[in-house]
Amino acid sequence: MSKQRLVIIGNGMAGARFVEELLAQGGGALFEIAVFGDEPYGNYNRILLSNVLAGTYDAQDIFINPPDWYRENGVRLHLGVRALEIDRQAKRVIGEGGCAEAYDKLVIATGSRPVIPPIEGLSKDGVFVFRTLDDCRRIAKEAKHAQRAAIIGGGLLGLEAAYGLLKLGLETHVVHLMSHLMEAQLDATGGAILKRELERMGLKIHLRKRTIATLGQDRVTGLVFDDGATLDCDMVIVCAGTRPNVELAQKAGLAVERGIVIGDDLASPDDPDIYAIGECAEHNGQTYGTVAPLWDQARILAERLARRNPAARYTGSRVSTRLKVAGIELTVMGAKDPQRPNDEVVVYSDPSRAVYKKLIIRNGRLIGAILLGDGMTIPTLLQAFDRRARLPENPAEIMFSFAWSNIPKASETQRICHCNGVSRAKIVAAIRSGHCTVDAVAKATRAGTGCGSCRTEIHAILEAHLRETGGALAAAERVGQLRAAYDAAS
Amino acid sequence: MAVALQGIEFHRAMSDAVFTHCPYCAFQCGMRLSRSGSKIIVEGDESFPVNKGALCVKGWTSAAALEHPERLRQPLARNARGELVPTTWDDALARIARAFIDARARYGPNAVGLFGSGALTNEKAYLLGKFARVALGTASIDYNGRFCMSSAAAASIKAFGVDRGLPFPLEEIAHAETILLVGSNAAETMPPIMQYFQRQRENGGRLIVIDPRRTPTAAAADIHLQLTPGTDAALANGLLHLLVRDGLIDEQYIRERTEGFELVRRTIASYWPERVERITGVPVAQLIEAAHLLGRAETAMVLTARGAEQQARGVDNALAYINIALALGLVGKPSSGYGCLTGQGNGQGGREHGQKADQLPGYRRLDDPAARRHIAAVWRIAEDALPGPGRSAYEMLDGLGREDGVRALLVMGSNPVVSAPNAAHIMARFEALDFLAVADFFLSETAQLADVVLPSAQWAEEEGTMTNLEGRVILRRRAFSPPEGVLTDIEILCALAAHLGHASSFSFAGPREVFDELRRASAGGLADYSGITYEKIEANRGIFWPCPAEDHPGTPRMFADSFPTANGRARFHAIEYRPPAEEIDEEYPLYLTTGRLLAHYQSGAQTRRIAELRELVEEPSIEIHPATAKLYGLAEGDRAILRTRRGAAEFKVRVTADIREDTIFVPFHWGNALAINRLTNAALDPISKMPEFKVCAARLERSSANGKEG
Repeated sequence: MSKQRLVIIGNGMAGARFVEELLAQGGGALFEIAVFGDEPYGNYNRILLSNVLAGTYDAQDIFINPPDWYRENGVRLHLGVRALEIDRQAKRVIGEGGCAEAYDKLVIATGSRPVIPPIEGLSKDGVFVFRTLDDCRRIAKEAKHAQRAAIIGGGLLGLEAAYGLLKLGLETHVVHLMSHLMEAQLDATGGAILKRELERMGLKIHLRKRTIATLGQDRVTGLVFDDGATLDCDMVIVCAGTRPNVELAQKAGLAVERGIVIGDDLASPDDPDIYAIGECAEHNGQTYGTVAPLWDQARILAERLARRNPAARYTGSRVSTRLKVAGIELTVMGAKDPQRPNDEVVVYSDPSRAVYKKLIIRNGRLIGAILLGDGMTIPTLLQAFDRRARLPENPAEIMFSFAWSNIPKASETQRICHCNGVSRAKIVAAIRSGHCTVDAVAKATRAGTGCGSCRTEIHAILEAHLRETGGALAAAERVGQLRAAYDAAS
Repeated sequence: MAVALQGIEFHRAMSDAVFTHCPYCAFQCGMRLSRSGSKIIVEGDESFPVNKGALCVKGWTSAAALEHPERLRQPLARNARGELVPTTWDDALARIARAFIDARARYGPNAVGLFGSGALTNEKAYLLGKFARVALGTASIDYNGRFCMSSAAAASIKAFGVDRGLPFPLEEIAHAETILLVGSNAAETMPPIMQYFQRQRENGGRLIVIDPRRTPTAAAADIHLQLTPGTDAALANGLLHLLVRDGLIDEQYIRERTEGFELVRRTIASYWPERVERITGVPVAQLIEAAHLLGRAETAMVLTARGAEQQARGVDNALAYINIALALGLVGKPSSGYGCLTGQGNGQGGREHGQKADQLPGYRRLDDPAARRHIAAVWRIAEDALPGPGRSAYEMLDGLGREDGVRALLVMGSNPVVSAPNAAHIMARFEALDFLAVADFFLSETAQLADVVLPSAQWAEEEGTMTNLEGRVILRRRAFSPPEGVLTDIEILCALAAHLGHASSFSFAGPREVFDELRRASAGGLADYSGITYEKIEANRGIFWPCPAEDHPGTPRMFADSFPTANGRARFHAIEYRPPAEEIDEEYPLYLTTGRLLAHYQSGAQTRRIAELRELVEEPSIEIHPATAKLYGLAEGDRAILRTRRGAAEFKVRVTADIREDTIFVPFHWGNALAINRLTNAALDPISKMPEFKVCAARLERSSANGKEG
């Protein structure tokens, strides 16, 4: 059987991941694969871009597959070529420069692009969006000469970009339209604590500020707000959200809402040979902007197309996000507020220590949480959320890492010598029956005759016992003898 | 050689005591055995440089097995009513020979099988392999080490070109600045090794332990990464990601001594800490702390054990951890490197000399023409008379009694109906055999199924070499004569060979003669023993292989200058994390992991019969987190039914906060209704064929034995 032709539009987090998954599942034997990627690189880990800006990562360390990888795997990569049109009649994708690929199956993974808010003068020098590695490089280059930066947008990406510029030594302002930061994921209380923590790190945060224009001639020199106030700055980054890239699909006559509409089979309802995955896709009324759902979709589509599991269905993803700002532990997942009358809300709030935990529980399962300021409990709750696992009846038992640290251990049965399984009780009994040196205890019980690491503890039990029983044995002289015996033994 | 001389003098001074080694784990503690009246006295051997006199409770009580009332003292065979009754050696051996000849005639040579053990001495393991290929001409031979060391072994061969558990002496542990100990509860499974970790700590070193349970070993660590079962590859990749991010890798070493790093670097780019946290359940802050302790140390070690290895991706897991050791430039440097902690007594030697389905002595490959030529010459047979590679342990057991499977089987030193995964199924396969013979010293659960049972000698009753976890070949001496009516395994194999008409290839007067042939057979192989003699072992308290000539001192440390790969470089392997074969879900919402306890050893056939050990732990229980216990209405001491897709079993509940909320633990040392391996998943690693003992999905129910709830 000859191979089918598979074309992927988009070489980002979703498109490239899909190709990897497909090849890993043996899809290379079934398909002749071609990829359009409008960026001039192999694929890289976009998740880490804000860390590259902050200097935590070298740009070279975020690359996943170089162009060679595609060649080695028999994948035709049209590097730096934007797809312009999907011709569904002819089953062809036409790219820039006349490059065209015929397909039997097509995967649209065009991602999203920054929303450009209606602000006058955003085309000036010194104004940036933050989406690609090239954006990142331009911003970093500009930051070398800049003193003051303004980030428009106090969402996740805006805060991470702001942190990056702060690390590069700039005076950094975050200008946010809403009344608290990250309002899509945080409630007001959480937003307030986060704001204070970021301010403590040195960010300047301006809430409820609508930017209407920029100052400056060819170069930006400041921002103008709708209340007439202004903010001087010599660079601006616009982080006002993203919008799915749906135009190709729209032009091809596929159903599009906010994103390209897909079913559980990840295909367009209008064309069974066209799939959409990633940020450009809309499943069940939901578009996704974090990586885990994209990868879920990529994996499931690969399973279907590689025929490993042709009936695999995508039923939606659990969404969680972690703010990647060093020194701040913030993870949010699912709903931030109760959705139904019977949803339970459990809140622990300690603003002075910057700890805030809020769980939304439905039928004993976690459907949402805000976890700020305590990293140690994040994974347990996140996994409980991901798995829809039953929570303990008392959620406090899972909200605090110390919840179980002081369960009374029966100290008498506590094992002192692991090599020989000797309990404290046995050692005390031996001491009571007159074995008053570490060696004597060892002889009587075998405690300390293995690796020897418990001998210090046996010595301590001996001393404590002697102190307790007082009298004749408590004499400092006797303890001295014991020490000498112990030292000689070890 | 001052130490060695001292040892000999010591030996002479206490001439009534015999210096030998413990029958249990791969640490092979030196011990002295003597008799005082009717009592056998066990003492630690202070002069042996490995345990330095230390013993654990299993070692102290080991002699109780020697004169145990349940000890088998004569051969048994099934009578007409199907009962196992005493018989003569001649009858027993003749029956086995007849059954083997019969099966071969009816179904071909591969219908006769052998199942060996990592408890056998090098001489026995070697002879068993030769017996299969020369006396039986069968490809059907494998051993229980598949369930133990096979993943680490395969990973080491892929990465370094050779597999020696620790390619450096134990002593170096004490001098490593940071140690990453993966999936090992050495404090209970190999207690005397902890003296080295204790000294490491006294020297200012740090210990990081990776384990889903807060074991005594994890409790002694500076950092405990309490990972979700089955997520090792993600964790290892995540640590390497941080080491690359923070510029802590050794670029020069990578350039000069390794290959394949570029692909690894690209692969781990997708394992950023937040993602790894979500997969593994290990907090980001701990990941960073651990990576920095490893990456900033001058000397560091990565040591893996069964936790990471006994998975359907066990080889990948071990390779992912090896990548860390290579990227940090540790392998081949003093007090640094990668190693695995071998489990069974002769788990190392047992995997070198030919009782594996694909292997010939000297760690040679059965499909390598040069190796076949060499061995055929030593064995004086035609090269084409050597069978090819056979099926791995689980595959062989799974095929018992089937059309193209083994019909007549001899098991030596192993109890697979307890230790194999999906054990109820394996039990059924054993029952489907035409014929089963078992050589053991107790009537183990497997022996109870046999048509013929041969009583064999125990460790203190015969001589032979063992290769400990460091690759140090040591000598077990004979302290006592076997009981009347009991033969050694070597005597059994030689006698059986004679019954099969192969007396001339199996005329060994004793283990020394077998060892001399083993030396010749291993010569030129990776595990070259040709320069090792019993005398040399005695004088030096062990010789590290490879030792290619009698005047060669052995090789305590490997890889100083190069690796035994085609181009002398170590190889990186890009590993992607994949979930375990069976993920938890609504129906089976808990991870079941299995493992070992201090008081017992492997299938428990020995230790369950020793009163003092039984008193320490009488029966297995389910370890469960208090929050999870409450969820299921269970309290300490209750009985609970544990269910997986393979079956169900009832256990006592032990509530402990030392385990993850999503995980339960059951030890595997018991048989029949208490055999947790009836519930484990037999998904196999594609390379090592290691079953997934360490993770499957399970659920819990209150047992009706508890009475009404509340």
